[in-house]
Amino acid sequence: MTRIGEFFKHALLLLGAFIVIVPFYQMVSYSLKSPAEIERGIGGFMGSQALMIDERCVGSNTPDRVDVEAARTDYPSLSDSDILGALLEKVREDCKVRPAIFNYRSAFKEAPLMRYLLNGLIVTGSIFLLQVIVALPAAYALSKLKFWGRETVFGLVLFCLLIPVHAIALPLYIGLAKLGLINTYAALIIPWTISVFGIFLMRQFFMTVPDELIDAARMDGMGELNIVWRVMLPTAVPALMAFAIFSVVAHWNDYFWPRMVVTGDRSLFTPPLGLREFKADIDGSLYGPMMATATVIVTPLIVAFLLAQKKFIEGITLSGMK
Amino acid sequence: MAVVETLPQNHTRRRTRSHKSTAWLLTAPALALMVVILLVPVLSAFVLSFTDYSLAAPEVNWVGFDNYEKLFTRSSYEKMLWATFTYVAVVVPLSVGLGLGAALLINSLARGKEIYKTIYFLPVMATLLAMAIVWELMLHPTIGIVNRTLELGCGTVIESLWPWLANGCANGMPLWLGDKDYALWVVCFIGIWQGFGFNMVLYLAGLTGVPRDLYNAAEMDGARSAWERFRLVTWPALGPTTVFVVTITCIRSFQVFDTVEALFPQGGGPSKSAYMMMFAIYEKGIKQNLIGIGSAITMLFLVFVMIITLIQRRLTERKVHYS
Repeated sequence: MTRIGEFFKHALLLLGAFIVIVPFYQMVSYSLKSPAEIERGIGGFMGSQALMIDERCVGSNTPDRVDVEAARTDYPSLSDSDILGALLEKVREDCKVRPAIFNYRSAFKEAPLMRYLLNGLIVTGSIFLLQVIVALPAAYALSKLKFWGRETVFGLVLFCLLIPVHAIALPLYIGLAKLGLINTYAALIIPWTISVFGIFLMRQFFMTVPDELIDAARMDGMGELNIVWRVMLPTAVPALMAFAIFSVVAHWNDYFWPRMVVTGDRSLFTPPLGLREFKADIDGSLYGPMMATATVIVTPLIVAFLLAQKKFIEGITLSGMK
Repeated sequence: MAVVETLPQNHTRRRTRSHKSTAWLLTAPALALMVVILLVPVLSAFVLSFTDYSLAAPEVNWVGFDNYEKLFTRSSYEKMLWATFTYVAVVVPLSVGLGLGAALLINSLARGKEIYKTIYFLPVMATLLAMAIVWELMLHPTIGIVNRTLELGCGTVIESLWPWLANGCANGMPLWLGDKDYALWVVCFIGIWQGFGFNMVLYLAGLTGVPRDLYNAAEMDGARSAWERFRLVTWPALGPTTVFVVTITCIRSFQVFDTVEALFPQGGGPSKSAYMMMFAIYEKGIKQNLIGIGSAITMLFLVFVMIITLIQRRLTERKVHYS
């Protein structure tokens, strides 16, 4: 009886797992296949990886008059048009690539994907760093220092927890536009520098740090700001790690905000914006390179997640700790 | 503690006073940013929602409740509210239900817990925009894997058992995203696909907190079937988790944007059947520079979020669990 029950549970869960995984499978599969294989829906996961001709490569290397003149000595007996034909044949031969290589190479060459990834790194990194610099001292003061107005400040933090930053995007956009900051890194980063959730979280964590630790540091003559960075920060590393994952995942994957404040300047595109641009640009046949781009963008977080699942699940569900 | 007590009295007092100013210094950056980045925008959205403001316009006029009136009378905004609420009403129960179901099933497994947990969590980690584009490709009317798979069923016994499929075989498979009868449901499906793993993890955490002996007690009281045990023990014990999961899923669902923007660049899908609030804010406020109406939608949005959170707080205060 339990055997059968267990079997049905697995059957149900496997069905769910299948639906969850199919898009990932498709994404990677398309990123490896040739356009013809995608079009006709053949080739299994990898495709046949038969050599295909990169038409763009042929297009940019088409032999012209100069090439024909130069090649005349190599083909003494042929007419000009035959030389042209021979040269073209040679170019086509040189432009043959494996579909997988073609897709990934186009992903990086057709669009500045490297730049997008770098931007993603810069933006998520700066956001996290600034969030910590702003939140940690505040969290320390709210948990360990007694001062007039503390309850009010904390009440404000609790109130601000209710405001989703995405929801107030429009007034933020106007403010940034007035300051002339649209299409800058600042516009991508500044609205996220304040993480009320980070303050709340770190405050809850600091409450559990024993006062003796702080008093001992004060006896050693340490200033309050020093205490924040040299005493509190080291004790908070696990909580900070979880918060880092929470913050980096949210901002690496964020599409809404970059879409709002970066309008045309490709050099500022974050990975999701870059992918979106790729999609808007293609004529409908370059699915392979587009899926290669998607794979490149999705992979870093997925790999990190698979390597440190516990930490990631902890970090992403942080908001559940309230 | 002992250290503090041995300190001379005046030293303590001086220290406390210096704490006051340092404390304010330490909170000042956070406080300033909270005001500038969160509170001022809410207030300015409120004010702007009563104007016809637009960037680079020479003058601003006070229009009273005009923007709100438009919001509740024009058919495109009616569609927006309908699409957003349908999305929330579909995605919240299904992704919470599936999350709970998956958590219960996984929790009761003898082996293989970790692998399912990992797989179900993958969509939560993946860039939603990228996955939406993958789904779009899978739902492509001609080369997509979904319609290809469905076509395999044509001419088989499945066709005679499933009228919907028979219709597809005869008159062509659905266009999915291009069809106003399907577009919104596809968007809902992607939302559920992406979000239920998150709820599952929260429920799994909640399940570890259910006291084991409660099950024994329930059994002694005659709760023999698994359903009875669930109804009497698990569900009440998961009360706080459920309140939290429903709230956060609601707020996230209201904010749906990536999928609709990627799938319907023209705005809102076929006959605006998937015209979501966040997309409307972006389209009106940024693309068309109609900041007054964009602000009115923003305010409406904030009101919804506040209502949800207030309900959550009310429920949490009432202590939903009695374990």
